[in-house]
Amino acid sequence: MELIVNLVINGLATGMLIFLLAAGLTLIFGLMDVLNFAHGGLFVWGAYAGIFTYMYTESFLIGIIGALVAGAILGLLTEKFIITPVYGNHIQQILITLGLMLVLQEMIKVVFGPNGVSVKTPSYLAGSWEFGDVIIIKYRLFIIVVGFVIFGIFQYMLKRTKIGLIVRAGVQDKEMAQALGIHIKQVFLYVFMVGATLAALSGMLMAPYSGVIYAEMGMEYAILGFIVVVIGGMGSFSGSLLAAILVGLAGSFMAYYVPVLSLAVNMILMAIVLIFRPQGLFTIGKERST
Amino acid sequence: MMKKLTWKHLSFVLMLAILVLLPFVNDSRTLIILLTQIFIFGILAMSYDILLGYTGIVSFGHAMFFGIGAYTTAVMLKQVDTTLSIFLLSIVVGMFLAGIVSFVVGLLTLRLKSHFFAMLTLAFSGLFLVVAEKWRSITYGNDGFTFRAPEMFKDRITFYFFVLACLVVVFIALYRFVQSPTGRILIAVRENEQRTKSLGFQTLHYKVIASIIAGTVASLAGSLYALSLRFVNTSVMTMDITLDALLMTIIGGVGTLVGPLLGAAVIEYAQHTLSGMARDYPIFERWIIFFGILYILAVIFFPKGIIGSIRFIISNWRRKLKAKRKTPPALSHEKEGFE
Repeated sequence: MELIVNLVINGLATGMLIFLLAAGLTLIFGLMDVLNFAHGGLFVWGAYAGIFTYMYTESFLIGIIGALVAGAILGLLTEKFIITPVYGNHIQQILITLGLMLVLQEMIKVVFGPNGVSVKTPSYLAGSWEFGDVIIIKYRLFIIVVGFVIFGIFQYMLKRTKIGLIVRAGVQDKEMAQALGIHIKQVFLYVFMVGATLAALSGMLMAPYSGVIYAEMGMEYAILGFIVVVIGGMGSFSGSLLAAILVGLAGSFMAYYVPVLSLAVNMILMAIVLIFRPQGLFTIGKERST
Repeated sequence: MMKKLTWKHLSFVLMLAILVLLPFVNDSRTLIILLTQIFIFGILAMSYDILLGYTGIVSFGHAMFFGIGAYTTAVMLKQVDTTLSIFLLSIVVGMFLAGIVSFVVGLLTLRLKSHFFAMLTLAFSGLFLVVAEKWRSITYGNDGFTFRAPEMFKDRITFYFFVLACLVVVFIALYRFVQSPTGRILIAVRENEQRTKSLGFQTLHYKVIASIIAGTVASLAGSLYALSLRFVNTSVMTMDITLDALLMTIIGGVGTLVGPLLGAAVIEYAQHTLSGMARDYPIFERWIIFFGILYILAVIFFPKGIIGSIRFIISNWRRKLKAKRKTPPALSHEKEGFE
C-alpha cells in the first residue's frame, strides 16, 4: 500500500513539472501555431538562473523569482528575434527553434561552466512526513501543490477573465479576433513570454527534485513535454495536465516494476496515440488542422 | 541546355580527377582522414536532403539509420570475421535493416503533419538510442567497442578510394533518382502536397519511398563511418548526428545534391580547424555555438544555402542578359524552370 502511495506521489510530482513545461508549449502552439523546439532551452536556463540566484541570495523564493525573470526575458527575445521572422512557415520554425535550442544549451556551458551543479533542497522543504507506513517527501508534495495552484490560476484566467477570452478567441480563429480589433501579435508575444516563464519555473522546481542540473537536461525534459502535448492534444490546456499526470505515473510505475522499459514507455505511449488518435486523447470538439 | 550539361559534367569530372589524384600528390594522414570524413558525412547529408530538400519533411530521426548501419558493420566485423566480404555483406545487411525500419516508421508516421512527424521521429530515434544503450551484450552500451578492419582497409588511402567510390555511386544514383518521375513527384509534394493528392498521386507512398531511400543511404554512411573509426558507441545514434546532417544540408543548400556535399566539406573543415584552435582559445571548444548562430542566420537570411543562393544570383544575372537581348525564348526558359 505504502509503495503504491509513494509511486503515485512520485509520478504526480514528475507529472506536474512536465505539465508546467507542456502548458507553455501547448498554449504557444494553440495560439501561434508554432511548435517551440527551444522550449527545453528555456527550461534549462530557468533552472540555472534560478539556482544561481538561490545559491547567491540563499533564498529559494528569490531564486524562483530569478528563474521567472530569466524565463520572461528569454521569451521576449526569442519571440522578437527568432519566431517573428518565420511566422507561418512550419519547416523553418522547426529548424530555427532547434538551432536556438543548440545555442541556448551551449551558452549554459559557457556561462555557468560545462559540469553539472548539485542542488540542495531548502531546509523548510527538505525532509518528509510519516503517516504510519506511508512516507511523504515534503518537496514532492510542494511541487504537486504548486502545479495544481498554477493550473487553477490559469484555468481561471482562461475561462473567467478578459485576457483569457482574448487568448481563447485567438486559439479558435486568429483572423476573426484580429478583425474585432485585437492586436493579436501583441497577444502572441505575451503568451510566448508566459509560456517561457512557465518553462523556466518548471526547470527551477525540477532542480532540487532531481538534485543536479546539467545543460543537456533541457532536451531530455523537452521531449517529455512534447510527448505530453501530443497525448493531451495540441492546444488543449487541461488536456496537457491529464496527459502530464498520465506520463508521470506511467514513468514512476514502470521505473519500479519494469525498469528496462521506463525510458521507452513514454515514447511508445506517444507513438500509439499519434497513430490511432493524432488529435490527442483529451481534445473534445473540433479537430485542429495544422 | 546540352551545352550547359556538358559544362556541368566537365566540372564534376575535373573535381573527381583532383580528388583521385590528391593522395598521390599529398598523402598527409590528417588530410586523407579529413577528406574521408567529409565524404562520409556528404553521403549522410545527401540522404538527408532527399527528405528535407526534395520532399519537404523534417525528420529528427536520421541518426537512427546512421546508427543501424554503424552498429551492423561493427557487430558483424567483431562477432563474425574481419574479411572484406563480411564487411560488404554488413553494408548490405545494414541497408536492408534500415530499409525495413524506415518503411515501418514511415508508414506509421508520414501520414502526420510536419510538427507531429518531427516529434515522432525524435521519439523513435530516442527509442533506438535506448536500445543501443541497454542491449549491452551486443553493443557494450555507452562505452562502445573497437573492432578490427578488414586487411585491405588497414591502409587509409585504399579506404579513401573506397569511400570516394561510394560517394560517386551514391551521388549518381541519387541524381538519377531525383530526376526520375518519382523524384519529380517528391518535389511536387514539397511544393504543394494537397494539389499533388488532387492530381491523383498517393503522396503517402511517395513519401515512404523517399524515407526508405534516405534511410538506406544513411545506413551506408553509418557503415563507412564505423569502419573509418574502427570503433562504435552510442554516439552514432544521438541527436548530434541528425543535427550535423541538418546543418550541412541547410548551410550547403537544400533541394540540391551538391549543396549537402559542400555543406559537409565546410562543416567538417571548420570543425577540424576550430577544435584545433581550441587549444589556444578555450571559447572554440564550444564551437557548436558558432554553428548554431550561423545556422539561425542561415534559416532567416539564406534559406536556400550556399548553392541555392549562387544559383539564384546566376539565374537573375541570366534573366537580365536575356532581357537585354530582347529575345524571349519561351521554351528554353521553361526548361530552365526545371533545374
